[in-house]
Amino acid sequence: MKHLKPINRKAEQIERSAEEGKVDEAQVMQVVAGCTSVFDPGWEVDPFGGVAALCQPVEADLYGCADTCWWPAQVPDTINSYPDWNTAAPSAERDWRKLQTVFPKK
Amino acid sequence: MKTKALVTGAALLALCATMFSPLCVQAKEYILTGMKPNRLVLIDPAKRAIARIYTIPGGGSPAGIVTSPDGKTAYVTTNHMGSLVGIDLDSGKEVFHADFSDGDFADVSDGALRVRSFYGLEISPDGKELFVSESPVRLLRDEYKVEDTRIAVYRTDGGMAAEPVRLLPLPRRTTNIMMSTDGTKLYANSWDLYTLDPKDGKVLKVDKILNWQRKNFAPPGLFNVWNQFEQAHVFVTPYYTARTDTGSGKPPVPRTGLLTLDLKTGDFHMNEFEDSSAIMFSSVLSPVHHNEVYSVFKTLTKNDLEKNKVIKRVALPHPYYCVNISGDGREVYAAGAGNDIGVYSADTLRRIGEIKMPGGADLAGAWIRMVERP
Repeated sequence: MKHLKPINRKAEQIERSAEEGKVDEAQVMQVVAGCTSVFDPGWEVDPFGGVAALCQPVEADLYGCADTCWWPAQVPDTINSYPDWNTAAPSAERDWRKLQTVFPKK
Repeated sequence: MKTKALVTGAALLALCATMFSPLCVQAKEYILTGMKPNRLVLIDPAKRAIARIYTIPGGGSPAGIVTSPDGKTAYVTTNHMGSLVGIDLDSGKEVFHADFSDGDFADVSDGALRVRSFYGLEISPDGKELFVSESPVRLLRDEYKVEDTRIAVYRTDGGMAAEPVRLLPLPRRTTNIMMSTDGTKLYANSWDLYTLDPKDGKVLKVDKILNWQRKNFAPPGLFNVWNQFEQAHVFVTPYYTARTDTGSGKPPVPRTGLLTLDLKTGDFHMNEFEDSSAIMFSSVLSPVHHNEVYSVFKTLTKNDLEKNKVIKRVALPHPYYCVNISGDGREVYAAGAGNDIGVYSADTLRRIGEIKMPGGADLAGAWIRMVERP
């Protein structure tokens, strides 16, 4: 943290957590469970170096993951920010063309 | 035992012959699950058909589902994990409603508490109390302040604006919460398995999972959010670890195991059975053959717990997250993720049927529960 200086309380908490050794409170899982993980989106291979164990195609489990914010970077957050993103598209396999990009409201 | 059962059966038949008693109505097994958007689905597995679809309040995917002991009411986490609703399965009417947050969070003033429940849901064996895991966040003017996770306890007769009757402390990172069959203990599946007192949340025991330290093994990790233990009353879930003593320059060897927690006795076991060769999301124990476990994701795997090995594994046509089993142990139901429930022979793992959701609506993250109803 030599080159970064916290400028708000949240950043101070992060710095303090690192100093207190609390970073170990977050640990990676032992395997890639499915096609992505919460903190490392974009797994492109399964634990065996292939793709057979991944959810594929993406429609196969889009909502099972997206509705629980499992893919916070790839699709809109439907729990808090964009709850209606997929309301008109209950079938990912049939309705995926209806899913649109979202933009922050001004 | 057999004689006692025969005598009881004969007495019941005699009672039925003389009067119309509710006891005489043969209970039938149904599947209960959720699909998008905000639908609760009752399925007759024998007919391979949907018996009834209930529209429930709140948007998003239904998630956790528990049923009252008499099979008449289903309680479902909904509204983007922000509410718990109770649906009378006979009338279809909403009979219970609890919102976890302070009002409508979209319009709250500074300092309101926004609360979401990530899957932890359980009902007491007497059907009087509901246990909901909660993750609260205080919405302040310039920051979101994460507050301690907790269990909110509601009375099932709490009505349409139910409030928690008590809040229990809950370890962070908890997914499943499960109750012992006698209602005296609450289990929280987190980094470790916590046994809690359902009255005050006091930690009674900790069975180590991630903190299980073994020489030459990586800390075990598991991911499970599905409660599906009502048939055998044993929580069983896959977990993963890795052998690290593979020699210099060689990568660790991933290992897959099964964790079992007997909800009658509290017995807790973890055993690896293979070098990981398939990802398994969730599992169910046979209520008839107590050594047989069925697990799903991209494959359906049948394990023998006693021999600690895979009996058979077959490919599934698409990912399924959760799985349940018929009361006679003959049929396995793969559900979650896509838009169908796959029916498999528990004996051969052959696909013997399927139930498609209307319009191809996805089951997404909804649980699959078995319920006996008149």
